[in-house]
Amino acid sequence: MEEPTSRFDEDSTLRSRLEADPEPALRWAAVMAALALVQIGSLLGGLLSILDAAVVGVTAIFDVLFGLVGLTGASAAVVDVQSALSGAVTTARDAAEGLPTLLSRETIPNQGHLASADGPWVDTFLGLEPALAWAVRVLLIVGYSLFTFYWLFRGWLVFRAHYRQADWTPTDDMIDRLRDHRWGQFGIFVLALFLIMALFGPALGPTTVSQNIVSPYSHEVTYFNADAGAVETVAAGDANFNSKSKGAGDQNVGPMTYDNFNRFHPFGTLPNGRDLFTFMMGGARITLIVAGLAIGLSALIAGGLAMVSAFYGGNIDLTLLTTADGIVSVPRLLLLIMISAIFANHWLAGVLDGGFLLALIFAFTGWPFLWRAVRGPALQVAQEEWVDAAESFGQPPRTIMRKHMFPYITGYLLVYASMSTGGIIVGLAALSFLGNGLGITPPTPAWGRAVSLGQSYVSGPSWHISFIPGAMIVVLVTGLNALGDGIRDAIDPESAGGDDDEAAAGGGA
Amino acid sequence: MSEPVLSVSNLRTVFHTDRETIRAVDGVSFDVGRGETVGIVGESGSGKSVTARSIMGLVESPGEILPGSSIRFNGQELTEFDDAQYREIRGSGIGMVFQDPQKSLNPVYTVGNQIIEALEENQDLTGEEAREEAIDLLEAVAIPDAPRRLDEYPHEFSGGMRQRAMIAMMLACDPEFLICDEPTTALDVTIEAQILELLQELQEERGLSILFITHDMGVIAEIADRVNVMYAGEIVETAPVEELFASPTHPYTEGLLDAIPGRQDGSEQLRTIEGDVPTANEAASHCRFAPRCEHAFDACEQAHPQHVEVGPEHTAACLLYPGEKSRSERVEHHRAQAETGGDHE
Amino acid sequence: MNRLTYLAKRLALGVPVVLFGLTMSFLIMYRGPIDPVMTILGRDATASDIRQLRIALGYIRPNGTQVPIWEQYATVMYDLFTLQFGQSWIIQRGVPVTEVIGNRMPATLWLGWWSVVIALLFGIPIGLFAGLKANSWSDYLASGGGIIWRAMPNFWLAVMLAGSLSAGGALGWYRGLGSDYGLKTDVIGTPDEVGNLFTVVDLFQGVPVLELLFLPIPNVGNVLIAFKWILPAALVLGSASMGNEIRIGRTAVLESINSKYVETAKAKGLSSRRIIVKHVGRNAVVPLLPVIMGEFYLLIGGSVLVEKVFSINGLGNLFFRAVLGPDIPVVMGLVFIFVVIQVLMNILQDLLYTMVDPRITLEDAGR
Ligand code: SF4
Repeated sequence: MEEPTSRFDEDSTLRSRLEADPEPALRWAAVMAALALVQIGSLLGGLLSILDAAVVGVTAIFDVLFGLVGLTGASAAVVDVQSALSGAVTTARDAAEGLPTLLSRETIPNQGHLASADGPWVDTFLGLEPALAWAVRVLLIVGYSLFTFYWLFRGWLVFRAHYRQADWTPTDDMIDRLRDHRWGQFGIFVLALFLIMALFGPALGPTTVSQNIVSPYSHEVTYFNADAGAVETVAAGDANFNSKSKGAGDQNVGPMTYDNFNRFHPFGTLPNGRDLFTFMMGGARITLIVAGLAIGLSALIAGGLAMVSAFYGGNIDLTLLTTADGIVSVPRLLLLIMISAIFANHWLAGVLDGGFLLALIFAFTGWPFLWRAVRGPALQVAQEEWVDAAESFGQPPRTIMRKHMFPYITGYLLVYASMSTGGIIVGLAALSFLGNGLGITPPTPAWGRAVSLGQSYVSGPSWHISFIPGAMIVVLVTGLNALGDGIRDAIDPESAGGDDDEAAAGGGA
Repeated sequence: MSEPVLSVSNLRTVFHTDRETIRAVDGVSFDVGRGETVGIVGESGSGKSVTARSIMGLVESPGEILPGSSIRFNGQELTEFDDAQYREIRGSGIGMVFQDPQKSLNPVYTVGNQIIEALEENQDLTGEEAREEAIDLLEAVAIPDAPRRLDEYPHEFSGGMRQRAMIAMMLACDPEFLICDEPTTALDVTIEAQILELLQELQEERGLSILFITHDMGVIAEIADRVNVMYAGEIVETAPVEELFASPTHPYTEGLLDAIPGRQDGSEQLRTIEGDVPTANEAASHCRFAPRCEHAFDACEQAHPQHVEVGPEHTAACLLYPGEKSRSERVEHHRAQAETGGDHE
Repeated sequence: MNRLTYLAKRLALGVPVVLFGLTMSFLIMYRGPIDPVMTILGRDATASDIRQLRIALGYIRPNGTQVPIWEQYATVMYDLFTLQFGQSWIIQRGVPVTEVIGNRMPATLWLGWWSVVIALLFGIPIGLFAGLKANSWSDYLASGGGIIWRAMPNFWLAVMLAGSLSAGGALGWYRGLGSDYGLKTDVIGTPDEVGNLFTVVDLFQGVPVLELLFLPIPNVGNVLIAFKWILPAALVLGSASMGNEIRIGRTAVLESINSKYVETAKAKGLSSRRIIVKHVGRNAVVPLLPVIMGEFYLLIGGSVLVEKVFSINGLGNLFFRAVLGPDIPVVMGLVFIFVVIQVLMNILQDLLYTMVDPRITLEDAGR
């Protein structure tokens, strides 16, 4: 590997470099600011949601720790603090979501009704029919988000071209190789699409989770009643009741159709009359949160332990090996079922509608796979001369691991993390499919539950209920595998694949 | 000299990539006489291995031997052969010893298994008979304790032993012509000397003709009768081995010889040729060595040097020759030669 | 090191792994936040009933004092390792766990066997074929299929297939297939109807299950019925492995075909048939081994879902119900069996490695 070279003064700061040539940075920042401004409401809302999740996560860890050492009082106090904090964050979030946002359902509404039997449409965007209004909004949101993702990447390119201390680093080559890798790009694209679904879920659906799924009886629907020949209003719950998809001729609202209440259903309805598309968007959010948390934790544990076992070797390595083998020896899905069934009524199962607990379980059951995969590279780097050299300079092990070993194994960690994420997503869906207190708590949408709901209607006209969620999982998992392949080829163009650890990455559940 | 065993003329092998067509071998011609050892010497990337693969018919897509190339083996035109005919020639006609004995032996079968397989295919020996013959062959390549070694796997052999086994395997095919593609590069010097000696003995015993490919002038001096120096897909100088070492003419050959330790006169430092072999992707209209040549002059960029007789059985392709003419006459001479047909395209 | 000592050593090393897996399950089942006693007895149980059951389950002593957790642990582990699995608490109360498990074993074995065989029979040849025809249309079709096939969740595939097989579904004809010859089965039905098919059709006619796998089968017609019944579920259960086999098989073949030893084999004048069968084939098996052995791992987890969808009354279904119960003795018994199988499979895999690839010594294989 070549040494990174520098074209600036050794000790120039980023700030001085920015001041020397501000133009590219300003140009980039101006566009970025414009992009952020049009979406300021949902942006703040999103940030606050993340903050909320972080508060819950931190308190949960404290709670478990206090519980373990028997400080029940302290753990109760912690829970109190958490609910107070979460409450505050929720208020702030509600306020933030009240801020004007360009690509929101309020700006481009699709929920309207016919004024008479043959039009016009009332309350929709520009008087378009709901399907079109909805499509316009979805296209704008997807376009906006893809462009924003691209612009963020552009930001890195600008930094690399104008402001970075080193004018070349090994990462540049990896990124450039990835830019030539069609299959890997397909993976990035798929992941981006699902991220958009998770981020903009509420604005993407033709209706919202709370209106349509969680509390349908506190919301109303205005529609043109063809039988009565007049515009009427019903509770969304009642409208759902009469829009069921149960396979039989008139009891079906298929994909891309309207129900009798002037509501458009891009993916059709569920057997209980709820909108499948909205359900899927809600599911995307919880799925990605759980998968992201789980894989992040797994990777952290696996990476750390891999470096420890590579650095110290011997008995520590052997102990880790036995531990990992022990965890792996109980088939993962069985372990998942056991833990989530037993904890079904624990308060932890209430956090994030059960998602937080599931993420912990997935992390606990998943790290051995990752650990096995990166232990090899970690061992390799531990034998390199520069690690010996650093050791002889008297650098403490922690510094050596962080500075010399971690950068080397990150790539591998990314590859295998991306491939195991597919397994987590499938596993999560499987648990929700099994139901009985496993998986995500109803009524919060979960992909697996949709498959289970549609189970009896697969052969009839309501095939969409089970088919669409599964197909979406297939696309997402394939995308993640592609991303893994792409990163692998980018780090190590020589390797042509064929690694055995992939066996665990597939849709085995 | 009698009819050559192998006669290659105007061989051109190209590789098609997305961006360009790489001319790995670009108009190579040479002969190998019966019982003779001919060397091809050049740096890596000069096209010498591709020449060997072309002769063996092992060039596969995206590689292609261009029409107009001719490889004649015992009077048969190999470039017109189909797969089945080639299979007849490979092994019993032409054998090949590869550079890396570690990778060239199948790791999951015993050495004996792989030798016997060759015997079955090419000499119709089977069972106990084949085993006896395999033991004889291992002994012929000086592997001690042959009966036991026969049942061992390649990874249980040392590097030198592996190459001996590889040679035994090729001998099992009973070829009359053997291509050795850098057979000693992966080995250390003493083992290298042993293998070279072994090859020479076998050649005498069996009347083998050998095409020996290497980057090492020292090895060439040991083993070859005649030498072809290859650079960027072309042969730039051809001569009998003593002649070449006594009076190298092409600047590239001089460079190669200067790089051999102990050949320089007096205090002069060990010299190496700066730079790398260029990748040829267009028909040559100039001297491909020009960027690295000490003697290069303007015309070297404009005229493609042709082979000129510079001694007994000795030709070189460089605009410095024929030496008795003036510079402009020489350039004219090469241009005219190129037009009358030595050159193509 | 000879094979026997190696085997002994590996078995010894397997003990801590089994112990770890069981300890983990023990902690979850015995120390988790549930009270099986209340679940078993229901809300309106009398105090004395509760006391009785607590004693019976080994939570408290007859004199009312708590049994310390480590003592419970020691008892449970001792019983498991001496193969005393105890009696079921809920699923079939009072029936020995061995019997509960034994009754459901044949269905799962039958399912697992065919899922492995079908995946191998299709996956490996398709993968090898794709590798041999690399970058042709048939290759793209096969490897594209493999990529999607392995990304499909088992339970979803099961739901879709089961749906199509129902009356009126796209594959509804499958049920009637061969019914003229007495091959009548509903394929999917309630566990009572179909799940106990083995007893209904008396497939085994009293022959112990294990023998059945090796002996000539008593009644061909019944075997065909059983096969027809299990085929859809087995297809689904083997799907992920099949996708993996296609993918890995393809890369393995490609790597081998471009290797130097294949070039050498060509230089020897061998026919391409012989080169592919002998030189490419065996080398391509090496990277496939972990995938094939990994199938058993996927199989145990996947059987829970597939058996549920296809209403097969096997071990997966049993495990699911036992965990929800919770029927702890059944859970622990099943975990014990699964973990032991898993450890044995790992050892078998390493032994197979040394047989297929002589470069791998028994010492290396342990890693
Ligand atoms: S032709 Fe010119 S450049 Fe080429 S070798 Fe001769 S002198 Fe050098």
